[in-house]
Amino acid sequence: MALRCLRELTTSFFGLLAATAFLATLLGSAVAADKVVRVWHTETNPQSQKAIANIIQRFEASHPGIKVEAEALAWGDLEGKIMASLAAGSPPELSHGQPITCSALQQQGMLLPLDDVVQAIGEDNIWDQIKRVCRADGKYYGLVHAAGTSLLIYRKDWATEKGVKPPKTWADLLDNAKALTMDTNGDGKTDVYGMTIPGDNLFINIMMGELIKANGGGLFDDKNRPRFTEPQMIETLEFWKALTAYLPPGWEGHGYRETFANMYGQKAAMMFQGYGRGASLIEQYAPKDMQSTDHFDVWVKPHGPSGKTPAAQVDQEPWMLFKDAKNPEEAKAFLKFFYQDKNYLEYIQSVPIHFFPITKSLRRSDAYAATPMIQRWSGWLAAQEHYLDNDLVKPTMVVEWDDLNTKPYLMQILGSGVLRDMVMEVTVEGVDPKTAADRAQKKAEALVKKAGFAKW
Amino acid sequence: MRLSQSSTGLLLIAPAVALLLCLTLYPVMHGIWLSFHAKHSFFPGQTFIGLANYGFLLGDPDFWSSLWRGVIYSVSTIILQIVLGVAAALVLNEMFPARNLVRGIVLFPYMIPTVVAVILWKWLLNNQFGLVNYGLVAFGITDENISWMGRSYIMVSLILISVWQFFPFVVLAVLARLQTIPHELYEAAKVDGAGAVRRFLHVTLPQLMSVLFVVILLRSIWMFTKFDTVWLITQGGGAEKYIRTLPVYAYLRTFHFYEAGTGAAIAVVMFAILVASTTVYFYLFRRDERL
Repeated sequence: MALRCLRELTTSFFGLLAATAFLATLLGSAVAADKVVRVWHTETNPQSQKAIANIIQRFEASHPGIKVEAEALAWGDLEGKIMASLAAGSPPELSHGQPITCSALQQQGMLLPLDDVVQAIGEDNIWDQIKRVCRADGKYYGLVHAAGTSLLIYRKDWATEKGVKPPKTWADLLDNAKALTMDTNGDGKTDVYGMTIPGDNLFINIMMGELIKANGGGLFDDKNRPRFTEPQMIETLEFWKALTAYLPPGWEGHGYRETFANMYGQKAAMMFQGYGRGASLIEQYAPKDMQSTDHFDVWVKPHGPSGKTPAAQVDQEPWMLFKDAKNPEEAKAFLKFFYQDKNYLEYIQSVPIHFFPITKSLRRSDAYAATPMIQRWSGWLAAQEHYLDNDLVKPTMVVEWDDLNTKPYLMQILGSGVLRDMVMEVTVEGVDPKTAADRAQKKAEALVKKAGFAKW
Repeated sequence: MRLSQSSTGLLLIAPAVALLLCLTLYPVMHGIWLSFHAKHSFFPGQTFIGLANYGFLLGDPDFWSSLWRGVIYSVSTIILQIVLGVAAALVLNEMFPARNLVRGIVLFPYMIPTVVAVILWKWLLNNQFGLVNYGLVAFGITDENISWMGRSYIMVSLILISVWQFFPFVVLAVLARLQTIPHELYEAAKVDGAGAVRRFLHVTLPQLMSVLFVVILLRSIWMFTKFDTVWLITQGGGAEKYIRTLPVYAYLRTFHFYEAGTGAAIAVVMFAILVASTTVYFYLFRRDERL
């Protein structure tokens, strides 16, 4: 009896094992049929996510056997997630990243070139300014998904009323800010502040990069030594301090969205770190009769006392293809598909005033020009085109194009908050600019030394 | 072969011990090991540098200011949580209509995820459009909107949000203890002529001491190492520099400076501070409570 029981049990066990093995083989072959392209991007707004989803759907339909999994990540999460995935040896196939991140990873040998994609788009079809991002040894290690420059947005109606002219220098800008700081109801209190800027780390770093460039200075020298104690930086800090007289109280706690809320909420007359995507916010939240360039227009940014030309930042994250990615060829196929005019237009139209197309063919196409929002905010686009075509814009923290390839520690400087702390000490805590600059210099020197890049 | 009783016992607890070693001891030891090295947070390879990371922290003003802010944050939130928590528990221990509903509402802040709580409060405290400022101005308490996320008030905001979020834990623990205090003690005190305050001081409080001992200990550890609430408040705006506590500084050093060794050294220092504080705490109070 016991023996028969044992025999039945053994038969059942091996039967189950065989069935499981058969199912596993079937399942395995089914799973193996799809090559997965994982894509991380930073466009978290619903329109862009929808556009990406549509492009993926069309790509998968025309490329059987390839599956694209897109994930939208907040900026704050991206760098850490990329680094952690690289450390774990399982990065996605493609990801957006800051240009300085792209260059740092390229120098670590962690990226694959995207030359095939560039050739498919047509090298001559891409704007020269775009081709400078994350390019090394003649190869393209990053390809910008779209460009959008920072903008000095102002209230045109109030400026006209006050007779305020476009500022050429920082002194002019301070005069404008003073003129536009107003008590509108006569109760002795300020109702409208002349300027609004964000106080968070990323935007302080962006603004510092712009201002130091516009003042003829730089952040680091050829030996990677910080240049924070140079006169151009001290002047920049003094300007920043002077500007705070016209900022809403507590500006240091304002995020980027709050500065836009200050603009469309009638609390501020100028916004130094505006972007094209703000046009959508104005159309959504400003009073109906004010949703136009008659009320919200842009000026070219002014330069500092030691500078000669304006400078702005360009938000142009490149796509990066990781060396350890499992399906690099499929990822390239997806990018080639993404940049085809029909698909790329849908993506660009999801944030039309901020996403400046990188391809000349699309920028000159009738379909692009016919986009209603582009027609409504053409002045904003003209300002961006002026910056891009005259090479007046650089990516975050990049003062000269060479910085991308020679200063791989910029990412750490940005994340460390050294520049933000220096600005806060001067503008909020009332520390003398020279003292604050000296402290920041020491901190940055220690960081560069620890990272192993000090050559002085 | 039969195993002895003690061997069987050892065999049975072996998986739990192995799990404990893997999940607790190994990370702690690895953290300590890391603190003696210069190591990039994500790239392979490290260099042994002895106590250099600790030496760096000694001379780093940001470390000391973060430590100081962490102490201010944890001490003030613990005091407020205990005061508010005990007071709320005393009220909720009384009989009144809809008592169970009110008990549920009081526990609500502790049940919602931190990220939801912080986003909710950031909207309420928004300096231009927030409900709190609207109320303060409407009732004439302030003339102008307060910038709750600016330098002057961001620590106050953080403390208020944290107390709101975590005081229900104190309520829960204290309320449970209050319900087990024998009524005879209060009746005897009443017979002896004790008023409400004296009954609280001489009956309730001594009975609560053992619970408060544990609650203060746990909340101190949790508030000193609190990261999520502090970090989330500064995301998308918020003067981070002025609420940068040690856990946040350790995170910044590790994931923004990419200095895993320095980050680990900060974590080890925090661990040492907690061990020392807990030892002193036990030495001062444990004997009385016979815990």
